[in-house]
Amino acid sequence: MKNEPMKIQFERSGGVAGMRMTTTVNTDTLPAQEAQMLREMVDKAKFFDLPAVLATSKQGADRFQYRLTVEVGGRRHTVETGEAAAPQTLQPLLDQLGQMARRK
Amino acid sequence: MTTEHHSILCITPPHMLREIVTRGSSAQRDWALRTLTTTEQFRGVRQLYADFPALAAPTAAAGKQRIVYSADQGSSLPGRKVRGEGEPPSGDVGADEAYDGSGATYDLYSDVYQRNSIDGNGLRLDSTVHYQKGYDNAFWNGQQMVYGDGDEDQPPADRLFNRFTIAIDIIGHELTHGVTQYEAKLIYRNQSGALNESMSDVFGALVKQRALNHTADQADWLVGQGLFTANVKGVALRSMKAPGTAYDDPVLGKDPQPAHMKDYKNVSYDNGGVHINSGIPNHAFYVASLELGGKAWEKAGRIWYVTLRDKLGPLSNFQEAANLTYQVAAELYGNGSLEQKAVQTGWAAVGITVGGGTEPPPPPKGCGQTIMELFGMK
Repeated sequence: MKNEPMKIQFERSGGVAGMRMTTTVNTDTLPAQEAQMLREMVDKAKFFDLPAVLATSKQGADRFQYRLTVEVGGRRHTVETGEAAAPQTLQPLLDQLGQMARRK
Repeated sequence: MTTEHHSILCITPPHMLREIVTRGSSAQRDWALRTLTTTEQFRGVRQLYADFPALAAPTAAAGKQRIVYSADQGSSLPGRKVRGEGEPPSGDVGADEAYDGSGATYDLYSDVYQRNSIDGNGLRLDSTVHYQKGYDNAFWNGQQMVYGDGDEDQPPADRLFNRFTIAIDIIGHELTHGVTQYEAKLIYRNQSGALNESMSDVFGALVKQRALNHTADQADWLVGQGLFTANVKGVALRSMKAPGTAYDDPVLGKDPQPAHMKDYKNVSYDNGGVHINSGIPNHAFYVASLELGGKAWEKAGRIWYVTLRDKLGPLSNFQEAANLTYQVAAELYGNGSLEQKAVQTGWAAVGITVGGGTEPPPPPKGCGQTIMELFGMK
C-alpha cells in the first residue's frame, strides 16, 4: 500500500470571490517527501471512512466548498464538505492541496 | 379616522403601512399602526415591534452598535476585542475598516430604508478581522462577519489578494447576508442562492455608492474593487455592469458570471453556482438603476429592499424576483410609472419578461399611491 501511486482530485469553490480552484495530484510524479506527506494526511484524515457528504450549517454564507476524490490501491472515494463541516483531521490535507492548486 | 379609511385599509399593502409608520406624522403613524396590528397579513405585533423598535419603549434597542475583534490569525471567534462603538480608531487598519464599513452599511439601512440593523431590532454588528493565516475570503457565519487578510502568507510576488476589509462593498455584502437571513431567508442553493448572493452584491454596491455619493452613471458597479493585488489581471471579483469581465488571469482563471438567462450555468459546485448566476439579477439591477438615473439607493434600491423584506421567500427564483420587484415598483411608485418600466427594462436585459399579457394583474389601481397622496407623502 505504501508505494502504490495515489491520485487526488481537489476542488475548492465558493467563498465571497466565487472562484473555482482545482488540481489533480499523482503521488508518483511528486518528490518522495511530498508524496509521503500527502499519504500520511490521507491516513490521518481516515479519508476512506468519511461520509460522501458532510452536512453543513444551514446558516451563513460565502464559505468555501470542497470536493475531494482519492484513488489508491483500487479504492476510490469522494467527499464533499463545506468549510465549516470539515473535520479537524481533514484540514491539513485541504490546506496542502489548496497550496498545490495555487502553484499549478 | 379608522372608519373613514376602512374602505382602503383592506387593500393597503402592509409594507406601505410600514412606510407610513416610519415616515408619517404621529397621527398617520397611529392610524397605520392600528391597521398593521389588526391585519392578518402582517406577521404579528412582536415582529412589528421588532421592525419599529422605537415604538417598544421598555425594550427600545440602541442604535448603531459595533464591535470589532481580531482572531490574531487563529480560528477562534469572535476573538480579542479591538474596538467598540464610539471608541477612537484602533490603529489596526483592517479593524478600523471593518468598523467604518459596518457603520456605513448600518447607515444605509437606517437612513434610507429606516431599518435598525440587520435584524430590524438593533442587533449589534460584530466583525472579526485577521481570521486564520492566508485566508483569502470573507464570510457571514450566521451571527457575525469574518474577514481574512488575503494571501499575506505568500511571497509578495505571488500574492493575489489584499485584506478583505479593503473593499467597503464586501463589508456591505456580508452584512446583507444577515438581513436576508432575517427576512426572505433565501436558501443558499441554485436560483434562490444566487438571489441571496445578488442581494448582497446589490446592497454592498449601494453602501459604496452612497459612501462616495456616486450617481448610478458615476458608479463603477464593480464588486470587491481593490481586493486584487497588482499581480492579478483583473479589476474586481465581479462586475454588475458587465458580468463575466471582471478578471481574466492565468492563476485565477476567467470571471465565470453570465449576464443573461441564455448563459445560466447549471453547475454542481459553489452550491449550484450561487456566486456565478448572481450575475444575472445583478445586471438586471444595474440596468434598472441606469434607466432611472440619479442615486441608485433611492429608487431601485428601495424597490429591491422592499422586495427582499416583504415579498421574497426561501425558494424564490429569478422569475419570481422579477415579478415581485415589478409589483413593488407599482406599489411604491404607481402602476405604469417610470420606475416600474425601469424594472421591466432591467429584467428584459437579462432575458426575463415581466408585465406581459400573461402576468398576474397589478395591485388595485393606485392603492399605494392613494394612501401616500392622502397623507401628502408623494
